[in-house]
Amino acid sequence: MRTDEFISALAADTTPGPRPERRLALGLAPALLAALAMLLVFWGPRADLAAALTGASLAKTLAPLAVAASALWLAAELCRPEAAPRRQRAALTGLGAVAAAVFGVALWQGGAAALATEMGRSSLWTCLRSVPALALVPLGAVVWALRAGAPARPVRAGAVAGLAAGGFGAAVYSLYCDQDALLFFLPAYAAGIGLVALAGAVLGARLLRW
Amino acid sequence: MNDQASRSADWETLMRAANRGDSAAYARLLREIAPVIRGIVRARGARLGPEGCEDVVQEVLLAVHLKRHTWREEAPLRPWLYAVTRHKVVDAFRARGHRVELPVEDMAEVLAAPEGPDPLLARDMEKVIGRLEPRAAEIVRAIGLNGESAAETGARLDMTEGAVRVALHRALKTIARLRERMIE
Repeated sequence: MRTDEFISALAADTTPGPRPERRLALGLAPALLAALAMLLVFWGPRADLAAALTGASLAKTLAPLAVAASALWLAAELCRPEAAPRRQRAALTGLGAVAAAVFGVALWQGGAAALATEMGRSSLWTCLRSVPALALVPLGAVVWALRAGAPARPVRAGAVAGLAAGGFGAAVYSLYCDQDALLFFLPAYAAGIGLVALAGAVLGARLLRW
Repeated sequence: MNDQASRSADWETLMRAANRGDSAAYARLLREIAPVIRGIVRARGARLGPEGCEDVVQEVLLAVHLKRHTWREEAPLRPWLYAVTRHKVVDAFRARGHRVELPVEDMAEVLAAPEGPDPLLARDMEKVIGRLEPRAAEIVRAIGLNGESAAETGARLDMTEGAVRVALHRALKTIARLRERMIE
């Protein structure tokens, strides 16, 4: 077919394609509800949930949510092929820097022995299994949305989708997890989110090409 | 510079009109864009030969079509267009076993190239259309080659105009997917 003829066919196709923002609006809330439902059924909320959510350990829920929101902001921008998302990248990096700084202070205060104790807990493995499991449906929703976009680098877009889903997974997980020590949950949640980012990158390589 | 700027302004206007359903504006935009894309592809595509180049041009146009909603209407069109072109050209070269350096900054300087008279170009696209379901291929060819409107095609195939448009849209998405698999 000559290109001129192909253009005629393209021009006749007036059906609009899917939009990433619309898919996100449609898919994210149900995905989060599904994750919450999974938590209630398979993990159950922590016994002192009300106290936890009104105290300092609310940070365990809010911090991952902030990561998720920032990653979503970046992901939305990455849907455009010419995107140069300086502000979005800076926000996400900034959050990481704050987390690292907080961890540094906690480590300096608690010492390496305290870190070893926290990382020796069996709940670390529960966390590393649970955050990705809870992030699964949100990851599906975000990747589905990004497939409607045109990311210049599919692996990078997938990793960012994984950061968003991991943030949501960790936030949901925090409703069960009763380990409130900074030296535990900062590295544990970061590792859990990191695993989901890795999974997102692998998915991105296959599913976000166009 | 002024000439390019005024042509660019036309493109944004045309694309905005296209996004509001103006098929004539959209067709005109695609016909103005195609030579620019062809110039970019040919600039690095000596190894592909003229058939391979035209294949890539059509692949880029298909991507422009399927991803046109990712263009932000307040932004200039060319950077978006160059980014789409670069993405598909790099993929196309990789599928044929070549790596290519294609910086977006160089694209503005490339000379536009009109389509040649040879009807045997773009064979990969022909192959892929041949792999569609017969009705889908029929619709793509009727509207493309024969210049039928969706209504005329519908009347001939005993389908509503709406059904023809949906079938056309699905056929184009399938073509894109099949081309992706050819790369893998």
